[in-house]
Amino acid sequence: MITLSDTARAAIEQHAAQSYPHECVGLLVGRLVGGAKHVTEIYRAPNTWSAEVGLTDAEHEHSLRDRFYLDPRDYIKADRAARAQGLDIVGCYHSHPDHPAIPSERDRVGAQGVGGGTSFSFLIQSVRDGQAAELTSWLLSEDGARFIAEECI
Amino acid sequence: MAVTISIPTALRQYAGGNGSVALESGTVGQLLGQLVEQHPALGKQLYGESGQLRSFVNIYVGDEDIRYLQGPDTDVPDGETISIIPAIAGGN
Repeated sequence: MITLSDTARAAIEQHAAQSYPHECVGLLVGRLVGGAKHVTEIYRAPNTWSAEVGLTDAEHEHSLRDRFYLDPRDYIKADRAARAQGLDIVGCYHSHPDHPAIPSERDRVGAQGVGGGTSFSFLIQSVRDGQAAELTSWLLSEDGARFIAEECI
Repeated sequence: MAVTISIPTALRQYAGGNGSVALESGTVGQLLGQLVEQHPALGKQLYGESGQLRSFVNIYVGDEDIRYLQGPDTDVPDGETISIIPAIAGGN
């Protein structure tokens, strides 16, 4: 289970709406207590996807409207800031502009570096016509083969 | 002084729950080797079947990606931090 503070939830919605029609990406900062994650703040990262990041040969046909990449240097910055406050990175989020908040196969492939399990959540914020819509949370299975829906409060 | 290896949240379950591990200085390859020796379950997360680092796992020494240094042969001095950083990408 993952819980979001009101400010964290509002910040994700705002980031997703402001980035529309592009996808946004960021990290979830908070505490991991047992199997539960409590998100108190977010770290907005720039979407640095480019064709060089491509996971397949056809990546150049796509754009920031349907792709995202979180630069590892942004992860380091966020991780250092979180640890300095006694907090952890407990997940990431990205938006799906004009698309349901359901993970794609590309999301699954792009999540393999994180590792599966319950300690890291993958949030998806849907945006329709520039307005934040539904928010869902997912866990990557231990073997990385699929996403499992997670309760998000 | 020692070298600190910073473990990202989702991989801590394979490292005895530790957020960081302190080791004596050496090269990146030696240090990661020691880390995996202490925590064998981490090996599969970091390395592919050929023994190469997985492409979606990034290793940084300080603020530098080892791909732009000397790779696994990069020397890590005392007091420095190695960060294991997952690549995160996707799209609808």
